[in-house]
Amino acid sequence: MIAVLTKYRHVFGMGLQNALVYRWNFIMRVAFSLLHLAAVAVLWRAAYANKASIGGFSFEETMSYFLLLIVANYLISAFNEDYQIGEEIRGGTINQFLTKPINYYTYRLTLFFASRAVTGVIVFIPLVLLLPLLGDYLPQNVEVWRWVAAIPAFALAAIIQFSIAYCFGLLAFWFLEIQGFVILSFAIETLLSGQIFPLDLMPEPLYRLSHWLPFYYQAYFPVGLLTGRIESIGEAHSGLLIQLAWTVAFIVGGGVLWQFGLRRHTAVGG
Amino acid sequence: MNLLAYVRIWLASIRYSVVRTMMFRFDFFLWIAVDISWMAVNLFLVEVMFQHVDSIAGWDKPEMILLVGTAMLVMRLFMTFFMTNLFSIDRSVREGTLDFYLAQPGNPLFMLATRRIELDGMLNSFVALGIVVYAAGQLGIQPSPLEIITYGFLVFCGLAIHFGTMVMLVGLAFWITRVQGIEGGYFALFDLSRLPRPALRGLMEVAFVYVFPAVIISNFPSETLIHGVRAWQIAWLGGIAVAWFAAGATFFHLGLKRYSSASS
Repeated sequence: MIAVLTKYRHVFGMGLQNALVYRWNFIMRVAFSLLHLAAVAVLWRAAYANKASIGGFSFEETMSYFLLLIVANYLISAFNEDYQIGEEIRGGTINQFLTKPINYYTYRLTLFFASRAVTGVIVFIPLVLLLPLLGDYLPQNVEVWRWVAAIPAFALAAIIQFSIAYCFGLLAFWFLEIQGFVILSFAIETLLSGQIFPLDLMPEPLYRLSHWLPFYYQAYFPVGLLTGRIESIGEAHSGLLIQLAWTVAFIVGGGVLWQFGLRRHTAVGG
Repeated sequence: MNLLAYVRIWLASIRYSVVRTMMFRFDFFLWIAVDISWMAVNLFLVEVMFQHVDSIAGWDKPEMILLVGTAMLVMRLFMTFFMTNLFSIDRSVREGTLDFYLAQPGNPLFMLATRRIELDGMLNSFVALGIVVYAAGQLGIQPSPLEIITYGFLVFCGLAIHFGTMVMLVGLAFWITRVQGIEGGYFALFDLSRLPRPALRGLMEVAFVYVFPAVIISNFPSETLIHGVRAWQIAWLGGIAVAWFAAGATFFHLGLKRYSSASS
């Protein structure tokens, strides 16, 4: 067990170093995310011009949602893991993992967590600097049970996000170019994970349907826990169970794709 | 090289692009589906918001659809002619393959920016135009020929601004090893094109209406269809388009002077 942990501790360290090389790119990305937040604020402030609440939430509560969404994205979202996996398959560098005692999914998941550790810290730098402006939009008076539920929710959301990226990366075993699939999926995920608008604003039948889809648990569910959009402990409990089920499904799915992919894969040279 | 030579080169690039697209038909249809889904996401946002409000900054639902459609039209035209080419400048600089384009006759920026066109983007431009036409129909707008020509000119100005902005962003590759993530800034900047101009106040108005024209790229053409031709909008957007295009080209050529080719 200790040997396994040591093995992946080195991978984690490698991931940290790799992520830190491109820290300025991450900082730029965070800056542009804040620009996106400003655009969102302009749009929703205009929408709230003659209304005290939309969907039962005030402008400040809606902005809390979008602000927390940005933080969540830098803590749990997959950035290019799908392309990196695809490149390793196409370029043949994945072959080294076939002969070593290392599980490729765990290896990539460890790198993912290392990279998110860096981006998760970097995102707080501009937020702290902008605290005087953003203070009113931070979630207020969050109950303890929400924090307790949010921790596993965020962790599972991260694994779902990575696992989806992992599955798309493995498509490189079958397709020369996976970018189209990735961006198509990204469009669907962006809509149904609540990145464009809080999902509770959708018509009720669509909102109920979204509860059963994995995208709901990628971002909306953990953020909704902390911003009051998940209203009760019961809803949080059932949400965590469904989220766990989807996490297991994607891990198993990734394993199946890996096995089928390896049957097609040809390693030349060495 | 004279203008006719550049036109011939561009036409050759178009022929190459068509042949290449037909070789990868599945990819062609996949990317059409990808872009249509993104357009649907943008329209769904408008639909959902207007289930809860009657107007946004004085723009009603069909006007917002017209605005979003115009923003999407400009971006799809940019995606058709320039985006893929400009996005790959970063990799060319990093891997040293820029040498290939520097060795070709003609202006390097022209050779890099026009080597391919994306037929799926062209098709989706028509989809975006269809959304604009639909919204105009909902508003009962019957534009005059002058209004249509002005709309087309203002969209073209928007395209020039997109081009200049993107060239400046990818031109950073001459100074920074990788611009991955910075290119994402392009999408963040032009996210603002979906906003109605009256919604912006204070610093946001100064920054994105007067300094960086992301908002007026879509608002001015839309207002032309809704309210008629306004000479000051033509002069403003036309002037800004020339300035941004020139700034982008200048920045790129400054960066090119820093480039060390792979063969030297």
